[in-house]
Parts: sequence; C-alpha cells; structure tokens
Amino acid sequence: MQNILLKVNGVSYPVDVTPYDTLARVLREKLGFTEVKIGCENGECGSCTVLVDGKAIVSCLMLAAKADGSEITTSRGLVKDGKLHVLQEKFIEHDAIQCGYCTPGMLMSAKALLDMKPHPTEEEIRRAISGNICRCTGYQQIVEAIAAAAAEIESSP
Amino acid sequence: MYPHLDVFRPTDYLKPSNIREAVELLARYGNSAFPIAGGTDLLVEKDPKIKVLIDLTDLGLNYIQSSSEGMAIGAATTMSEIGASPALRVGPYLMLAEATQEIGTPQIRNMATLGGNICRPSPAADTAPPLLALEAFVKIAGPNGYRDLEIEQFFKGVNQDALQPGEIVTEIRISNLPKRTGTAFIKKGRVAAGDLSIVSVAVCVSLDHGNLCSKVRIALGAVAPTPLRAREAESLLVGKVPQRNLLTQVAQKVSEEIRPISDLRASAEYRRTLSRVLVERALNEALSRIV
Repeated sequence: MQNILLKVNGVSYPVDVTPYDTLARVLREKLGFTEVKIGCENGECGSCTVLVDGKAIVSCLMLAAKADGSEITTSRGLVKDGKLHVLQEKFIEHDAIQCGYCTPGMLMSAKALLDMKPHPTEEEIRRAISGNICRCTGYQQIVEAIAAAAAEIESSP
Repeated sequence: MYPHLDVFRPTDYLKPSNIREAVELLARYGNSAFPIAGGTDLLVEKDPKIKVLIDLTDLGLNYIQSSSEGMAIGAATTMSEIGASPALRVGPYLMLAEATQEIGTPQIRNMATLGGNICRPSPAADTAPPLLALEAFVKIAGPNGYRDLEIEQFFKGVNQDALQPGEIVTEIRISNLPKRTGTAFIKKGRVAAGDLSIVSVAVCVSLDHGNLCSKVRIALGAVAPTPLRAREAESLLVGKVPQRNLLTQVAQKVSEEIRPISDLRASAEYRRTLSRVLVERALNEALSRIV
C-alpha cells in the first residue's frame, strides 16, 4: 500500500492504493465516484473515461499510483453550482442517452474535444468519441448533442 | 491448470527520478521488474510474473526537439503530442505524426508513448513502419551507459526487441532528409478506430534534380514477424524516374517480398494483395507531397 493524493473534481483526496489498483477502481470503490463506469476493463469501450490533467484517458488502463498528484475530472465534476453543464443538458434534450452506461464516458470525451476545439466539425466529433462504444448504438443523437452544445457555447456571451 | 488464478499482483510501485536510477532498479529486479510509460499494454496483458513496476514518468523523456541535424523525440512523448506537434506535421515527419493518429483511440493516444510502441514490438506497431522508412535511431540507456541502434536492428522477432536486461529506450532520433523528400503512411484495420493493422505501409522517397529517385524506403507492418523494409522493391526504384508502371512493379515486388500470416484479422493472401495496393497508393501520395 502506498498513500497517494488525487484531486477529483477540485477536491483533494488522500487514499491508500496497491501497486495494481487501477484509477477506475479507486475512483469507484475507494472514493465513491460511481459515475465512472467499468465496462470492458480492457481500454476498448471508453465507459471509464475521465480527464486527467485535462486529457481524456481510460481510467481502467491507468494505475492509480501513476495518477498520484493529478487533477481528475469525472462527469459529476461537469456540474457547477448545482447546474448541469451544457453538454449534459444537450444530451438530455437530444435523447442522446438510452441505457446510459456509456454516457459519463461520452461526456468526458466530448468535454475534452470542446476544451481543445470549440467549433468541431461533425467528423471531428465522431473521431473524438471513436474510443467510446455505445451498445445501444445511439451515436447519431450523441453527435447531434455534442454539436448543439458547441453551438450554444459559441453563442453564449 | 487454472491460469486465471495466477494473477497480476505486483508488490512495489517505484518512481525513479532520473535515468540512472531507473536503469539500476530495472537491473536489480531483473525479470520481475517492468517499466511503465503509458502503461496501456501492461493492464491488458497483466503478466503475473511482474512484481515491481518502475514508472518512467519523472525521467524527463517527454520532448520533441528539432536541431540542425534533425529531430529528437523523447521516448515518453505521447501519440497525441506527436500527432499535434507543429514541428512534426511538416516535411518528411508528417507521416509519423499521421501514423500516431491511427493508433488505438483518442484516450489511448493520450496515454501511449512512442518508446512504448516500439518496446512492445508487435509486428503491427504502427509507428514502426514510419520510423523504419525514416531510418530512425534508437537511443538506449543501460547499466553500461548509452548506446545507439538503427531502428531496423531493434526489432528481433514477434514481441522481441534488442533491449538487454536493465535497458530502456530514452530517445528516437531522425536525421535530416534531402529537401525534395515526400513521405506517406497508410494503415488498414478492420474498422476505423481502435483496431490493430491488417497491413500498414510507410514510404519515403527523395528525388534528385533530374527527378530520379535518389532514396527510396518502403516499410510495412503486420506482414512479417517484425516490421520490415522491402529492400528488393526499393532497389527497383532507385535511380529511376517514378513512372506509373514502375510504381506498379515496385508494389508487386513488395507483395512478393513480405512474409504475412493468416490470422483472425485477415488471410495471408489478402495481406499480400492489400500490401500491393497500399504501397502503390502510398508511393503516389509521397511523390505528390514533394515540393
């Protein structure tokens, strides 16, 4: 066991981890961030996607010890002052959620995209979520929701 | 009998702060030690033999430096960083930047490193063909100091590289190429994202002032036990004008020179045909990029 420090959604958490604990397991099971979904646990499905120091990564393939000292954002961290992020609102409006299991990961890949490219093309949106699998296959609505969020961010003052 | 009971349970996670320390730790723990850069293969393979993890994050190996001699890329530079680097999105380096964007998924590209891609020497490692075609050098640190190796000498067999116990790759270096040089990389997997290559092709062609091919390098992935150069095909083009029918012959030669296998992704026959098509396409693309 070693003690590491993870800053999750702006709050610092000291936590004891083993050398083989993944960031996904630690976030879910030791810190209670259950919005981080574990799907394949093999880096393929993207449901465990979180931002580490602003970059989208799959937390099932990152050891918690490697993330020591990092700033992590989960989909819960998108909510500010009790208000949903525009991406979350647009996902709801566009019915971009069916079973919902891929949604937290989709949101984080979309957030990483908009942080880097505020005006993405449809092609860029599709590439940005190419590491997130939706088994309900609701990709069209997800792409539309992300495009709508980008448009709203652009038009807001 | 119950291989799943023999689980991945490393006992130590060490984070050396410099290269010398990292090399000492790797040498000390031998086969039970495993270096982590991006770590993306580590947690897929979960090798139960691994007891000591050695995190290479703090070694200062994350950089892209251009100099009068060429380009040096730190082994811990991620695929995303290479793909987005303005210094690597120009000239002959472009195909390397493009190849990094064909690997895995966006999340994997934010984690996986250039050093890691060649040190998990899969025949299908997608940065290998561009590095072969650019005749890159691999800088290796070990218990006896540093050594340099041509990238072609680095790949020894399926999942085997030239690293000795205690050694790590610290840098990939690419020397300047003639001004009139064009490169191209093409990968085909079964689907567009997150899949291993069925075939990947990298070509690098230089023209002299008479428009004859002065340098030709053709490299392929996933068609032999290691990523490889198609030297017989290259030699057909050297000293010649790159006319269309000659490019077709060169591509045909490549398909004869490779040693593909049949696996779950494609048959050997399909790989030969695809290699021929992709090599011709890549040669045309590379030539069209020469200004």
